[in-house]
Amino acid sequence: MLQFPAWKVLLVLAVLAWGVVMALPNAVNMSGAPGWVPQKGVNLGLDLRGGVYLEMEIQPEDVIGGRLDVFARDVRTALARTDTQDPVAHLAEVDGRKMTIKLTRTDASGNFPVDDAIARIEKVNGPLEGGLAGGKTYNVARAGRDTIAVTVPANSENLMMADALAKTETIVRRRIDPDGVAEISITRSGSNRLILEAPGEPDPQRLKDLLSRDGRMTFNIVDDSPSSIAAAEAGVVKPGFRLVAGPTTGPLLIRSIPEIVGSDIASASQGNDEANRPQINFRLNSNGARKFYETTRVNTNKRFAIVLDDSIMSAPNINEPIPGGNVRITGDFTIEEAQDLAAIISAGEMPSKVQFLDQRVVSSTLGEDSIRSGYLAAVVGLSLVSIFMILAYGVQGIFAVASLAMNIVLIFAALTLLNATLTLPGIAGIILTIGMAVDANVLVFERIREEQRSGRSIWTAVQAGYERAFITILDSNITTLFAAAILYMLGSGPVKGFAVTLALGIITSVFTAFIFTRMLTIFWMKIAKPKRFAV
Amino acid sequence: MLIKFWPAETKIPFMRYRYVGVTLSVLVIIGSFFLLATRGLNLGVDFAGGSVIELTESETVTVSEVRSKIGNGLTVNSATDTDGTRRIVIRFGDLDEALLGPEFAALSPEEKAERASSASNTFVVNEIKSTFNLTDRDILRNDSVGPKVSGELFREGMIALGIATIMMLLYIAFRYSWSYAIGGVAALAHDAIGTMGLFALLQIEFNLTTVAALLTIIGYSINDSVVVFDRIREVRRKYKQMPSNEVIDIATNQTLSRTFLTAGTTLIAILAITIFGGPVLQGMSIAMIWGIFIGTYSSIFFASAIVMALGTDIRRPGVSDDTPGFQGVS
Repeated sequence: MLQFPAWKVLLVLAVLAWGVVMALPNAVNMSGAPGWVPQKGVNLGLDLRGGVYLEMEIQPEDVIGGRLDVFARDVRTALARTDTQDPVAHLAEVDGRKMTIKLTRTDASGNFPVDDAIARIEKVNGPLEGGLAGGKTYNVARAGRDTIAVTVPANSENLMMADALAKTETIVRRRIDPDGVAEISITRSGSNRLILEAPGEPDPQRLKDLLSRDGRMTFNIVDDSPSSIAAAEAGVVKPGFRLVAGPTTGPLLIRSIPEIVGSDIASASQGNDEANRPQINFRLNSNGARKFYETTRVNTNKRFAIVLDDSIMSAPNINEPIPGGNVRITGDFTIEEAQDLAAIISAGEMPSKVQFLDQRVVSSTLGEDSIRSGYLAAVVGLSLVSIFMILAYGVQGIFAVASLAMNIVLIFAALTLLNATLTLPGIAGIILTIGMAVDANVLVFERIREEQRSGRSIWTAVQAGYERAFITILDSNITTLFAAAILYMLGSGPVKGFAVTLALGIITSVFTAFIFTRMLTIFWMKIAKPKRFAV
Repeated sequence: MLIKFWPAETKIPFMRYRYVGVTLSVLVIIGSFFLLATRGLNLGVDFAGGSVIELTESETVTVSEVRSKIGNGLTVNSATDTDGTRRIVIRFGDLDEALLGPEFAALSPEEKAERASSASNTFVVNEIKSTFNLTDRDILRNDSVGPKVSGELFREGMIALGIATIMMLLYIAFRYSWSYAIGGVAALAHDAIGTMGLFALLQIEFNLTTVAALLTIIGYSINDSVVVFDRIREVRRKYKQMPSNEVIDIATNQTLSRTFLTAGTTLIAILAITIFGGPVLQGMSIAMIWGIFIGTYSSIFFASAIVMALGTDIRRPGVSDDTPGFQGVS
């Protein structure tokens, strides 16, 4: 306990020197320092620097329903006329997590060709991605004399959700930060949540508006016969069609199943038309371009509606088949509107609507206030504890204060190294550590006093004091560490920040209070040769 | 010249008064449960859901102005910052459906339940901005927590509490014995319940930050109990035939000076947070001040009394007082 060989002294000093260097960027500007020195201090949490925190959720019903909508198109292709097969007349309706396909015409024998249809649908029903059991993406089963039910098995649903969450994450990033320059953080939480943190952003509404649009872009064939529209407005909508309005077109009946969807679009950008008015240009990918050509060939002289989030943007007439896959939307846009819409269309369709669950906004002024008051509280707390310790223990108290200062340096070094985030409760954690770190010193010093009182010499008293207090310090700190660790694992946001500094503080305080203070005490005893410590 | 904060050697017969201590503790626990049942906790938005919006007070934007102009269903209070700036704190739950517009009215009941809090928040923010001619930069804080998240946060907090307690129980049982583990955890539960009782009594807002405070109190309480236990174990080994009450009294008296010094330094640090740390940390630090008192009290009277009832013997071999087992550190 009393021996400090040179290598041990060097080790302790090396740790402390390392701590000072690592913690340095928190105190001074480090530009121009050598590369191995961290350039940046501790990350400040949103509560300290200001910004927007949003927690959002995607809905399984939306995700699965959206996938079934896409599958409905494949089903239509599968049941269409081919070179060798007759078409199967049918109506497909997607309702929540289920698609119902009703056959509308019997075959020559007077039965509905359900088995034939199922066999044809199964051909386009792909295998489950990464599914080792070789399952299919959808369950296709007979559900009556003329009905087929398509459902999604649980493992397939899980894959779809994971995929949708990943897609949503990408889309959220592209919409909020199209140029990839902003310092935003998006993390996944659970199977269907995303947490967005945007430091410095003052306006949560702007983010919410950008994110609450589906960006669901579809091209649908229009039935604009006045009689059908009138019937639909009276409440009798033609089966397989929907009544959708648009700001410039008025209400139109469009086919429920779209011809072209968002995934067929390669890119979108803002451009200008012949009269130099803003317009949105699209480029379809090869699959989309082929479908577009095919649809315009079959539906010449009908109208083609371009629909974004259930609102018709325009519905031009198809004069002739259009090859090449370049499309544009003209309309009454401002440049900003056209840019925003292009960004939303480009980023792609959200697999599901996002629901905002939790929103926290802190202005940067409030953040600065918090830093200031946290800093003040730390300085005052540290000063008072230091005075208290020196009054109570004299020289040893000075050593305890020195190690307390090192303790704080080491906490900041560890926070910098771990790239942890300092929050306001985190500052509270540090201040609490100041109070609790001296506990280790108090335990030792009290023990040394006791040993002195029972008549031991200063050297044996110090030896016994450190030896006996060690187990106590270890036991009491490990139990507190458990609380901090659980808090870190299960806590969220601010609580986590508190747990990080508390846990780091416990670890560094054992080092500084038990090793560094002891080293200082022993050096002092060798140099000053005191007879006994004042008690 | 050193200041003596505590007499060097005391001989207080703590265990003679243990029934007084235990009775007091039982009363505190019963009282806390009673308060929790009758007054309940003042749940903050983290756990109750709803919104909190904060604005800086100015000549045109005052508490009474906000109350009269934006009034319905909102709680409007003021808070003062450490530097003297006054803030307006507006709290509200879900607003009346009629205010939230036709788009909201068209939603299904489930969607309404989920979106009401977010829609109410948007409504109030827009009202504030248009009424007082403010921009987003003037809004200091705007938190809105939906019903789904608030329930989860509460559950998670409770689970964290439970698991942390079990871990500590096991650790003390491993290092000492079950009677110490039960004593320590009983003291910890006593402190946690007593603190919740104080929250109910004073109606201090109970939020994620105060949960952090609660866990700190638990950590402090167990830390304090372990220090006393450690000394009981040591005295027990020295005087194998001594009755338990004397062993505990010796141990408690020997550690008393440390108990008060540590409580003092921790208290100083927390007082600094209370006074200078700003309104955000105030609830948390008030809880911690109380926690230091109740934690110190329970480790002296409550934890030891239980250990005394269950026995101070430590049968675990191999952990001997003379050979601390961690000697490699010197």
